[in-house]
Amino acid sequence: MRVTQNTNFEAVRESIRRTKDRMEKLQFQASTLKKLNAPSDNPVAAAKVLESRTDKVNNDQFLMNAKLAESHLTNSDHALGELADIMVRAKEIAIGQSSGASSTDDTRLGVAEEVAQLFNQAVSIANRRVGDRYLFGGFKTDTPPVDESGRYRGDRGSLMVEIAKDVFLTSNVTGLEAFNTKPESSTDVQLQKSNAPYGNKAGDRVPANTTADVELQGPDAVPPTQSENVNAFDELQSLRIGLLTGDLEGIRSTLERFDQLHARLISNRAKVGSRMTGLQTTVTAIERQNLTNAQLTSSLEDADMAQVVGDMAKEEQVFRSALSSSQKLMQPTLMDFIK
Amino acid sequence: MALPNVMNTGRTGMMAAKANITTTGHNITNSTTEGFSRQRVHNEANAPRSSHGKNLIGDGVTPKRTMRVNDEYLEKQVRNAGRDLANLEEKDMALKQTEDIFNEMGGEGLNRLMSKFFNEFRKLANEPENEAIRQSVRESTLSMANDFRRIRKEIGEVSRHIDSRIEGYAKEANDLGEQIRDLNLRIKQQEVGGLNPNDLLDRRDLALKKLASIVDVTSFKDKEGMVTVEIRGVGPLVVGAAAEKLEYFRAQGTEDGAPENSLQLRTSGSVSPTITASVKGGKLGGLLEVRDRTLSTVLGRLDELAYGITDSVNQIHRQGFTREGFQGVDFFKPIEGGVERASEFIDLSDAVKSNVNFIAAGAEPDAPGDNRIAIALSGLQGMKLMNGGNATMDDYFNSIVSDVGVFTARNRENMNQSKDIVNQLGKLRDQISGVSIDEETTNLLQYQQVYDASAKVIQVADEMLKTVLELKR
Repeated sequence: MRVTQNTNFEAVRESIRRTKDRMEKLQFQASTLKKLNAPSDNPVAAAKVLESRTDKVNNDQFLMNAKLAESHLTNSDHALGELADIMVRAKEIAIGQSSGASSTDDTRLGVAEEVAQLFNQAVSIANRRVGDRYLFGGFKTDTPPVDESGRYRGDRGSLMVEIAKDVFLTSNVTGLEAFNTKPESSTDVQLQKSNAPYGNKAGDRVPANTTADVELQGPDAVPPTQSENVNAFDELQSLRIGLLTGDLEGIRSTLERFDQLHARLISNRAKVGSRMTGLQTTVTAIERQNLTNAQLTSSLEDADMAQVVGDMAKEEQVFRSALSSSQKLMQPTLMDFIK
Repeated sequence: MALPNVMNTGRTGMMAAKANITTTGHNITNSTTEGFSRQRVHNEANAPRSSHGKNLIGDGVTPKRTMRVNDEYLEKQVRNAGRDLANLEEKDMALKQTEDIFNEMGGEGLNRLMSKFFNEFRKLANEPENEAIRQSVRESTLSMANDFRRIRKEIGEVSRHIDSRIEGYAKEANDLGEQIRDLNLRIKQQEVGGLNPNDLLDRRDLALKKLASIVDVTSFKDKEGMVTVEIRGVGPLVVGAAAEKLEYFRAQGTEDGAPENSLQLRTSGSVSPTITASVKGGKLGGLLEVRDRTLSTVLGRLDELAYGITDSVNQIHRQGFTREGFQGVDFFKPIEGGVERASEFIDLSDAVKSNVNFIAAGAEPDAPGDNRIAIALSGLQGMKLMNGGNATMDDYFNSIVSDVGVFTARNRENMNQSKDIVNQLGKLRDQISGVSIDEETTNLLQYQQVYDASAKVIQVADEMLKTVLELKR
């Protein structure tokens, strides 16, 4: 085979170019610590990395949401507990004053004052806020849900929080549910649109009137309700009036209803508790997913430094030997020998 | 046999050696000239002028013709491989620029801004009453819209860059066409005179090779040694002594995917108004392919995405109620003209731009904590609204990125392969036509010896003549 100087020089140029090219790539990987520096380095992995980055951003938001929902639920739980205690105390008073033997006008007037206090306390608990938001007003988060006469001014809105992709959790209990044993027959709130979240399915983006139940919640532990609605504030008022007027029959009749209210509050607490359990499960799942995602992303885009450094050393060796062999190849021509 | 004839024989030897040495010199000096083929002088022994009885005595040498050492078939292969490599290299450059636009492996980009956009609605759902969050919904939307426009603009710049290269190559192709035409004429003249215009042939081959790297051409030689060059799929560019011109002009977008106001091509001889879509291969073919196919596809999908976001967000947002209790407010400025150029027009509606309380988070009026619209809006992220209900917006954008990556990677792979082929063929060509300095130096020494020895023949003849002349004394 004829080998010309051009072939020689071209071979030298080409081998230098190639080694330099590889060294440059390795150098870039070493400086970015990434093997995936442009989509074309590995298009499939690039798309996967983008996808899991989006997942990470979303998951972090879901974790924030979960924290927020947890704080709402915890506060609601405490408030419901306090209300339940008030119901217990009111019932104790009613028991104490329901029989003529232990109840006199004096004692009744005395405890009527306490019942008035309990009423005010109940109103203030019902109007409890987290930050600037009222807990029990449904969507009406910026006005007190209960006025001074105990009437509910909120609505039926349930505040949905997305705690994982397409998993929604109701982060509130409305006053309507909490203060009434039979909320649906309460006259405090006009019947409103359903609380179905908007547009859950593609193409179904009009306000749905169906009750798509996407929230995480425990079994509805409310016992079969009696035919008549009982309202906590009304009941406290009627106990007070019974005490003031000495209507022992009336006082006695509240006993059963305080029990119902108490049961209602406790079942609401149970509901809140089960939501929190669900929340915890979801949070754990998301954290696990974040971890798996991070591992996947790392395996796709991070350079193996040991390998990179090793390869660089190897390439340098190759480069050196290319240069030294080039020197031998280029230098002598026949001209050096004919003198 | 006369002694002066012996002298003449010596003279032919010296002449032939001189011709050979000159040619060797020519080879050495042109050893790095692009497209040069080494030349060899073909010597021929002179037929005896007179006979001496039955014995024919030779009469020296004549350098008959100087030929270039060249394999026409190999030249053609080199030309084709060069054409393919040039095509892939041009595409690589343009695709690299395109890829950079979408490269967010290192940081911010539309993918991140889109997920930020949807997450702002999740934050809004948590606290629909919070004005600061409304502000950040607006800001993140503006950043996202800006990035759509940035990508569109940068793709436009790649397109314009391609246009300027197309213009340059079209000019170069015209130059080369003229060169080939001129060389055709000169080669014909010389060949008619029975000469071998080696260097002109080399130059024409080189021009042909360069032309082939710009656009896919076929060529063939006619009886007079002139080449006809045709642009494949279009028509003749050079026919013997006449050259057509590649003309370029700006035109409105065509159905072939060429962007608005982009550069189109036509030949001065063709009847069709444009040949842009027929130009394949070479640098021009590569550039046009990226501009009219790849970039157009990418841009079209970006537009669809921008339109999809605008439209689906607005549809839901209009159902909601703003803080002031208005219904039917658009979140994005509605895009009137349909999908086309949507990524250029995507923007916040004037209402939301002027006042963040025009963002509707709730599905009921007078319900500041109502977050159902905000939830529905953030839920769009997971809905398969794109690509005929098969992809979410995230998927859709990611597939643009990975498709650009795939184009670029596949093209680069082909380019590296093609480079190897070109190298290999270059070596083969060099093996046949290349100049080896060592070889030429050896030849030089050999011819010098021939020259010296031929001179010696004359000297001997001279001495013999002298001997004859001194006989009489």
